Amino acid sequence: MPVNHSHTNANALEVRGIGKRFGGFWAVQDIDLTVRPGERRAILGPNGAGKTSLFNVLTGDTSATTGQITLFGDSVTREPINKRIQRGLRRTYQHAHLFNGLTVRDTLFLAVAGVRGGWRQVLPLRAGDDRLAEAERLAEVAGVADVLDRETSELSHGQRRQLEIGIALAEKPKILLLDEPAAGLSPAERPKLSALLMSLPKDVTVVLIEHDMDIALQTSESVSVLYNGRMLAEGSPDDIMRNEDVHRVYIGGAHGH
Amino acid sequence: MRPALILIPLLALPLVLNDFWLTQVATRSLILGIMALSLSFLATYLGVVSFAQATMAGIAGYTIAYFGPNSVGIGVQLPFWISIPLALMLAVVSGGLIGLIARRSRGIYAIMITLAIGVAFFYFTRQNYTLFNGWTGFSGVRAPEIGGLSLRDPLALYLLSLGTAVLALALVSGFVRSPLGLTIQAVRDAPGRVLALGISVTTPIVAAFAFSGLLAGAGGILNVWYQERISSFSVGLGPIIDILIVAVIGGLRHPAGAFVGAVVFVLLDTFAVDLIDRERFNTLIGVVLLLIVIVAPGGLQQLASDWVARLRRPEVKEKSTV
Repeated sequence: MPVNHSHTNANALEVRGIGKRFGGFWAVQDIDLTVRPGERRAILGPNGAGKTSLFNVLTGDTSATTGQITLFGDSVTREPINKRIQRGLRRTYQHAHLFNGLTVRDTLFLAVAGVRGGWRQVLPLRAGDDRLAEAERLAEVAGVADVLDRETSELSHGQRRQLEIGIALAEKPKILLLDEPAAGLSPAERPKLSALLMSLPKDVTVVLIEHDMDIALQTSESVSVLYNGRMLAEGSPDDIMRNEDVHRVYIGGAHGH
Repeated sequence: MRPALILIPLLALPLVLNDFWLTQVATRSLILGIMALSLSFLATYLGVVSFAQATMAGIAGYTIAYFGPNSVGIGVQLPFWISIPLALMLAVVSGGLIGLIARRSRGIYAIMITLAIGVAFFYFTRQNYTLFNGWTGFSGVRAPEIGGLSLRDPLALYLLSLGTAVLALALVSGFVRSPLGLTIQAVRDAPGRVLALGISVTTPIVAAFAFSGLLAGAGGILNVWYQERISSFSVGLGPIIDILIVAVIGGLRHPAGAFVGAVVFVLLDTFAVDLIDRERFNTLIGVVLLLIVIVAPGGLQQLASDWVARLRRPEVKEKSTV
């Protein structure tokens, strides 16, 4: 197991009192969250519950208004997103903002180059660069190897989602935040995605936002439920299925009972 | 397109053209094309329209004038093998600095900032006499002799400009395939996402501007040898707009478009006197620009490659309208 983080006993992710305010509106408030290394955690909640806002704060896409974020024992609350990426944090985006003018190969190459960082980023590319091989391996894992030299603007919705995951898997992530990876996929594409998620190495910590209850409960060992920007419940999938509050606000609502 | 098909006729051009055509049309188009290439590179790959390219070219041109033979008695004479790299280096540094200033701006704001820099430089050169000799600038600037060959010779200057243009195009196509070039294009498509890959956004933007400074600087050096003078008028609003017009006429989707635009611009500029009044050149170029923007927003280069594609595949003739 490649454990190269300094605090082996620390939690993968520890969040204390996180809040994010937009003007007078708290998108998320008083969130506490602890995720162990290697844990598979699902985050559920109806639309507008603050799931993506929480992810944005965790990755540093937006800064937290209040609270503390710790990754493997190191405080990252004030760190910019590119530093957190280099610590092993990765995410996918619900609405894929890909580089439309670049090919799949170039996009994955940049993902690898970005994580490795350093001066090689600005040096000319030489034949046999191992970052290119890594990009091809990622394409294989994410299932986009057959469209390597296609521009991302030409990809189907499903292929774009797969590419998103390929980007997030660059250079052995330690903790993956997946924002509704199955959103908008056809029934035929969903099993492929589930299989991809299940095949992730066991030492990778995964936090998954998912509307599809089947995928969420099948791939996770614990569940956090957000409602109106606050943490409503936490527990095993079974606990959550039995929880009255959760039934009322989410499961009941989502299934129209 | 195969480069040899274009390059061989261009190399043979001096055999069929007289000195007027070679110098006033061909060489001038190449030089203007190189300067416009510095803009179309930025616009195509970084997605930023810069009005400061004449400034970068001017900084290189003034460096050559200041450190070379001139007839105004200002400056220090340095050998060309020092003054040329120095001029290019200053153009690259100025490009990088302008990129640093404009790095957070896009669209209209990038235009405003670079225009402000361009205009500020114009007024600075008018008012500074120790380095720029005020609004009269430098005259009698002579291109150097390299290995007994004078670059003042029309044929030599033409071939040097052609060589520089080819090298500039090759540099652009190599640079955009490099990791840094890919990052520049990624910044154009989704800057926030570049940061989310763990890559700083400032470096690629500054690098793109610095590289455009190299191109503009090369054009600026050739231009000062070609004109044999440089003054505030070489960096004013006129040249700033000319570079933009050339880039737009040629098209911002392919680097080679800059040279197509330059040829059209120079032909119109040279022969407008015969067609209409000299004073009406701006009207003429304005009408041409308007036509291009309406009929072929991708520029003449795009229009031509569309035609070539249609000739090759006649079955799609009905699909696109001109």
